[in-house]
Amino acid sequence: MNLSEGVQLVSFGILTFLMLGAALGVVLSPSVVYSAFLLGLTFSSMAGLYLLLNADFVAAAQILVYVGAVNVLILFGVMLVNKRQDYRKETGLLLRQLLTAVVCFGLFALLGAVTVITPWQIAEGVTRVDSSVIALAKHLFSDYLLPFEVASVLLLMAMIGAIVLARRDLLMEDPETGMPAETELALPERPRETVVSE
Amino acid sequence: MEFSNVASQLNAWVIMPEGVVILTLLSVLLIDLIVGRTSVRWTPYVAIAGLTASLGALWLQWDPADPIAFLGGFSGDTLSTLFRGIIALSSIVTILMSITYVERTGTALGEFLIILLTATVGGMFLSGANELVMIFVALETLSISSYLLTGYMKRDPRSNEAALKYLLIGASSSAIWLYGASLLYGLSGGETRLTAIAANLAENADVPPLGLIVALVFVVAGIAFKISAVPFHQWTPDVYEGSPTPVVAFLSVGSKAAGFALAVRLLAAAFPLVSEQWHFVFTALAILSMVLGNVVALAQTSMKRMLAYSSIGQAGFVLIGLLSNSVDGYASMLFYLLIYLFMNLGGFTCVILFSLRTGTDEISEYSGLYQKDPLLTLAFSICLLSLGGIPPLAGFFGKIYLFWVGWQAGLYPLVLVGLITSVISIYYYIRVVKMMVVKEPQEMSVAIKNYPKIQWTLPGMRPLQVGLVLTMVATTLSGILANPLFTLANNAVVKTEMLQATLKSPEATETARAIAPPVATTPPDPQG
Amino acid sequence: MSPGIDLQGSFIQLLTSLGLPPQLAKVVWIPLPLLLMLIAATVGVLVVVWLERKISAAAQQRVGPEYAGPLGTLQPVADGLKLLFKEDIIPAQADPWLFSIGPALVVVPVFLSYLIIPFGQNLNITDLGLGVFLWIALSSVAPVGLLMSGYSSNNKYSLLGGLRAAAQSISYEIPLALAVLAIVMMSNSLSTVDIVGQQSGYGILGWNIWRQPVGFLIFWVAALAECERLPFDLPEAEEELVAGYQTEYGGMRFALFYLGSYVNLILSALLVAVLYLGGWELPISVDWITSLLGLDPATPWLQVITASLGITMVVLKAYLLVFLAVLLRWTVPRVRIDQLLDLGWKFLLPVALVNLLLTAALKITFPAFFGG
Repeated sequence: MNLSEGVQLVSFGILTFLMLGAALGVVLSPSVVYSAFLLGLTFSSMAGLYLLLNADFVAAAQILVYVGAVNVLILFGVMLVNKRQDYRKETGLLLRQLLTAVVCFGLFALLGAVTVITPWQIAEGVTRVDSSVIALAKHLFSDYLLPFEVASVLLLMAMIGAIVLARRDLLMEDPETGMPAETELALPERPRETVVSE
Repeated sequence: MEFSNVASQLNAWVIMPEGVVILTLLSVLLIDLIVGRTSVRWTPYVAIAGLTASLGALWLQWDPADPIAFLGGFSGDTLSTLFRGIIALSSIVTILMSITYVERTGTALGEFLIILLTATVGGMFLSGANELVMIFVALETLSISSYLLTGYMKRDPRSNEAALKYLLIGASSSAIWLYGASLLYGLSGGETRLTAIAANLAENADVPPLGLIVALVFVVAGIAFKISAVPFHQWTPDVYEGSPTPVVAFLSVGSKAAGFALAVRLLAAAFPLVSEQWHFVFTALAILSMVLGNVVALAQTSMKRMLAYSSIGQAGFVLIGLLSNSVDGYASMLFYLLIYLFMNLGGFTCVILFSLRTGTDEISEYSGLYQKDPLLTLAFSICLLSLGGIPPLAGFFGKIYLFWVGWQAGLYPLVLVGLITSVISIYYYIRVVKMMVVKEPQEMSVAIKNYPKIQWTLPGMRPLQVGLVLTMVATTLSGILANPLFTLANNAVVKTEMLQATLKSPEATETARAIAPPVATTPPDPQG
Repeated sequence: MSPGIDLQGSFIQLLTSLGLPPQLAKVVWIPLPLLLMLIAATVGVLVVVWLERKISAAAQQRVGPEYAGPLGTLQPVADGLKLLFKEDIIPAQADPWLFSIGPALVVVPVFLSYLIIPFGQNLNITDLGLGVFLWIALSSVAPVGLLMSGYSSNNKYSLLGGLRAAAQSISYEIPLALAVLAIVMMSNSLSTVDIVGQQSGYGILGWNIWRQPVGFLIFWVAALAECERLPFDLPEAEEELVAGYQTEYGGMRFALFYLGSYVNLILSALLVAVLYLGGWELPISVDWITSLLGLDPATPWLQVITASLGITMVVLKAYLLVFLAVLLRWTVPRVRIDQLLDLGWKFLLPVALVNLLLTAALKITFPAFFGG
């Protein structure tokens, strides 16, 4: 084993430990804020694993998308919800958690067994690509062109849908005065003009 | 891979129908943006025109010489063409019935159309997707737009609840599907095209099939969620009850058809090695769906909930065709889906019309409708009776064909369960019909007593009337004149290379005969 | 162009000639540029702080620091020492863990981003193929740290400041990335070295600022917003939020924020220099001068001169931009939060998109000028 292999092995160990520990923390932590921050740690360690696999672009994208966008969004969600609420004590919680643990462990054992007994067809002598960006781009513009393009329709629709759900439209008209009714939050919003019916 | 001449290999004309729909949705978006709210008077017709043009494009591309497009990413064979046609058609009828509904609820119609068209595009791409990444992207396009449509009535807490439930269950089922797909990718040595996966798996047939079976189970979970087969149906009743009725109509037909298309393509193309296992799994799903869907539908008091459970049961019937694993089997499935499109959408058009006039969905409120609105009663009765499978109507022929094919394939228990449950289903369909035609005035419900005067000239009522008459006529006629549809369905299967390749292998049909598990009796859950 | 001097190669050669195995020599080499860059960045911060105080003073017709050292140049050092020796306070009921990790999470990604800053053809820590994308990815981590410190301080101003900072950082990252993308498209590479290489050869005329004037403005505005400089310093707007997410911080932890914000400013200025102002290129092409004088570019003494000229150029350009930022600070009033978000989403984002499309079109039409 030469030096770089040793470094890789140690980094792999550290990253795996971090990722599993953080993932367990996400699930087991009683505080939702801790869970959210630990989720970020999980994503980051995953990016580290991608780096070890020589997938540098994927690693950076993982950081950008998951830590920089998804996790921050979750944190925003957690912090903007201004509600302190104590959880009700559920009866039989222990039993439920035990059952969940058994099911999860069973699933893990099954998937682990699959991974172990399957003779994976691992490509001999992986061809080293100079730039993973270029290799990815070539795929995206040849055999994965269609999903790439359809994803743009998906994103457009998701954006429109998000705006539809988030915008506060149509201030209800007061039936007596015909003026837009007062709401608690009076942001300067333009009420939608109504269609004149013939 | 030669990168310079990729464009010439794409064969991009195959996705012209989808392209037309995408252009339509962009033009609806831009018209709505530029012209403003007054454009809602004609944007729905733009959308309908676009979908009709897309149907025309599909017609022109029936049985193309080279159906494989985008280097194996998409297949435009006759099977996918028919499925895409079903989805586009269901979208047209949905738009017809949604114009008034959406306007009355005070939400924006333009965005509704855009999201609905995107769902249509997703479903159409899903029907022809031939590669795992493409399947996933199309599946997500369909799913995410469905979540949005479900939650479109954002001031209605039921709609919010439905959207949230649908989103959570849908996301987890997508995740499970994705895990199965990643297992397939690994097992096949890094292939994503379905044909390549099947070829690679067949080459290494000596590997233990445990991994393949786990992949199968995971993938089936994703598919069963889309077609809402029991036990992956829990979202259905709540979502159907909470979301806007036109959306329910689309989910029960368009989205479901896309799910069946995915099932046929994925199972037939990628899992021929574990044919026995997937037949077993789907037999269980079919029996459970038929029994639970139809039995629980008996106890419903809300019309939308009843139709939700009935659609679960109908999915069970359609699965018989999938399980028969013969040309006739697939053809019967397509035939039934075509008929189901008209009768189910017709039923939902009636529900919308009724709720627009009375503001309720309760079954008991329908009593005495005949005396106030004979046309609605007639149309609704025809659709319900057809769904139940009463002889001269379309549904009867569809069911007979399915059961006959199932019997031919030796799926006796499945067919028996189907027969029994369809008798049960007739009971709850007829109950509604009987309620509508009661004579005595004192039995008339409050809603009917206050029934408004029928005015088709009100803005937005015409398209509803057109949709009503269209589906009613189609339901009636396709029963008596079933032959063209039947030929269409049969041609679609015969001319599809992928299915032919699967059907040729004799052991597949053998195993289909061999497994005949005992009828699973499950305690029906009244709430689902 | 000439490859320039190869410090790494020479250093490893030196060590191997002393009897070390080449692998070990490389290991010895690796931390050296990292350490150098760390020290350089910190010293750079000291200079910027001094500059900021002096220029601010000049803008307000004051004298500014003058007692600590000649012209007050040691004032930043004194400031830093003061912060170092301050008591380490964690407020009551604050979350001690998150409170301590927060500042580090803000600072570390900024320092990591220095990995990709080139000062010459071979004068960089590493020429990553990922290049500017790494910087964009890393800078997206900072909001997590800001939210963390804002939340853990147990103070409403801190929380509001943290939320504002994160929202601002996310909003301006998109136009920033789109502006960078236009540059990347012209250079056919994400690597910062290649981006400078593409601008070289024509002196000042070859710099990207002439081909990407709109992109330059977008980048500069967005970079200022990312650094939370005035007019975009809402997260710590002292009139409204005390000091935003920094309110409860003091001593060394506050110093980290302080350091981070200035290191980030220098980083942005360096990146503008690299992306738009030709990096280490002189306004008049060095190749042209050497060929005029009939010198061989591979001559060792010439290489040393070129390299030091290059470093000087990068630093000079960066400090010019820092000067601009300080001037802006005293010229432009602070924007409101809704104006800030409007500017980001409704103006910069569409303009950046149009700029990207236009660049693509120009690249196809005039491949000779816009990188083929």
